[in-house]
This record gives sequence, C-alpha cells and structure tokens, in this order.
Amino acid sequence: MSATAPARPGNEIGRMTGLTLFTPVRRAWRPFLRLGFFVAWHAKVFNRHILQFNFIKFVRWTIVRDLPGEGLSYSYMLFESNFDGPWQHYIDAFAYVIPKDIRLTWGRGINFPYPPPSEPLKAWIARNSMEGGTYYCAYPQASTRMVRSALEVRKRFGALAREAERLTPEEFKAAYERFLVDAQAHL
Amino acid sequence: MADYRNRVGGVYALTVFTPILPGHEDELRDHLAALPLGEEGPLARLDQLHVSRIQIFDELVDQGPPHRRETLERAHLLFTSTIDGELDPYLDAICERIGDEADGWWGHCAGYPGTADRAAFRRYIRAHKIDTNLLAVANPGATVRDVRESLALRERVVDFAAEVQGLDATALRERFLTAFADVR
Repeated sequence: MSATAPARPGNEIGRMTGLTLFTPVRRAWRPFLRLGFFVAWHAKVFNRHILQFNFIKFVRWTIVRDLPGEGLSYSYMLFESNFDGPWQHYIDAFAYVIPKDIRLTWGRGINFPYPPPSEPLKAWIARNSMEGGTYYCAYPQASTRMVRSALEVRKRFGALAREAERLTPEEFKAAYERFLVDAQAHL
Repeated sequence: MADYRNRVGGVYALTVFTPILPGHEDELRDHLAALPLGEEGPLARLDQLHVSRIQIFDELVDQGPPHRRETLERAHLLFTSTIDGELDPYLDAICERIGDEADGWWGHCAGYPGTADRAAFRRYIRAHKIDTNLLAVANPGATVRDVRESLALRERVVDFAAEVQGLDATALRERFLTAFADVR
C-alpha cells in the first residue's frame, strides 16, 4: 500500500493562515450592518480595536449583494482574515475577548452560535470556511509581531546610523547602548 | 463608487468574483492546486502584493431552518489581493509579469479578455470587483518592501549586537560603520 501525500491546504503558508467565510445576512439586518461598517470605517478607533489581537495582519468584511448571473435572494457577507497560526486559536481569542463585536457582525446571520463558548462557533466556521485554491504571502515566515518589531527597529536604527559618522567613538558607544536599551523589546 | 473603502493608509484590498465557464471547474481546480507556492509561485513576482488568495467558490452552505438554502447557477473564481498603492498599477503588473499565469486561471472564466489587451483586462477586473465594506490593516504605512527590508535589518542588528560584545568604543564604531555602510 503506497502512502499518499496529504492534500495541500489552500489557506496556509509559513506561519500564515487565511480564513474566508461566505455567510447569509438576514435581509432586515443588511442596512444596519452597512451602517455599522460605515461608522466603523470612519471611526479610526476601530482599527485599533480589532487589531488589539497582535496576530492579525489584514482583515476585511464585504457585503455581497449578488454574483454575476446568480440572482441571489439573500445578501452574503464575505469575511477574509489573514493571521498568524491556526484559526482555532484565533477564534478562541475572538470568542472570549470581543464576543459583542462578533454578535453584532454575525449575530443577525442565520443560526449563528453566539460565543462564548467558542466550540460551537468553531464548528460553524468549519462549516462555512471556503477551502482549496492557492494562498500567497510576501513574508510568510514573519509573524505580525515580528513585522511590527522590525519596523520599529528600522525606525530607531536609522537615526543611529545617520549620526554614527559624526560622533566620537565614546559618543557613538553611548548612543549605540541607548539604542539597544530602547529597542530591546523589539530585538 | 465606494472605492475609498478598499483602502486603509497605503494598502488597497481587491475582491473579484468571476463566473467560471460551465465544465471548467475541475480543470481550474487542478490548475490552482498545481501552482507553485511561495517564492516559486507567480504571485511572488508582484512586488506590491502582501497577501492573495485564489479559490473556487461553488457552494452556498445550508445554515439550517429557517434559512432557505440557495444554490449557485455556476461556480465562481474568487481572487483577493491586499496590495500597496493603487489598483491600476497592480493590474498592469499582473499583465506584465504574470500574464500567462493569470490567463491560466481567469481563462476559465466567462467573458475574460486576456492580459494581452491591458485596457480590456482592467475593465474586466473592475467590472467584477466588489468593494470592501470594512478593512483593518496591522501596519497600514508599511509597504511590502518596507516589511522585507525591516525584517532583514532586524536580523542583521541582532547578529551585530552578538558579535561586538566586549569591543572598545573605537573598534565598535569602526565595525558599525563597515557593517551598516548601506543603511545611512
């Protein structure tokens, strides 16, 4: 009996996972959802709120009214998130930290399992997750935290590098040590 | 019309659904599954691309009563990209750098004009684009190039710090100026 290779997942590469959901929205809820997204888009605090989870790189919500040639009677919500690690960990964090946000967004979907607990939500996601295809990330081995730290190091290091030539050795050594202390958390 | 919602900072989110020609689903599925991944893949040739997913969408999930399950008339190809900058330069980059590969997947879709006619390609993608309602980006000011350069620099800085422990001030400064001559 020959061993067969496991199917290649279409939503994982390196440390990254892509989660795509396509779920129906109740007709009566659609205007409120659109309004909620509109307000959230303009309220910049939202970006900080959703990205309090430092494992998310990009996340988007898109209301799909119809698809070419379909004439769908429901509207659907396309949700795509790109984050570090397996989605089961991601959902645990969401279910327990921001359950109200999840309820507001999907709670008017049909038969949506309100979190917490997270297990029914995970089962719902597994049912609705779009699988297959291909997935790409330009820096798949770098976690969101690593990216953020690297950007911070680059910003601080640039100032040191620009000053280095005009400093005496003693001044440079002091500046270098200050840089190491300041950037310690990001190295 | 609501194109502004596809953008946060310098990042743009593209979502495209295109109808797959009847009978082409399996061939397209095999084509996508066989695409090389990572740096070997065609998408790696698009400098402004952060993340992308290409997948076949062929079923609406039954949510149970009272949901009245709908069925799709045909399968669709979902193409999403999160990119730096504007949409048109990205579409031009697809035509220039991965035209054959892009024709390989969208060529299974109805009405697809091909990348050889760049204006028609732009029109096709724009006609099938669905605007995002809400987008959140961890580092909206950072381009792909910024991220890659920063990750590489961080690694160099960590290595350097380990190498120069115990050097006196003069040797430390000299080693620094040599090691990071390209950074200033």
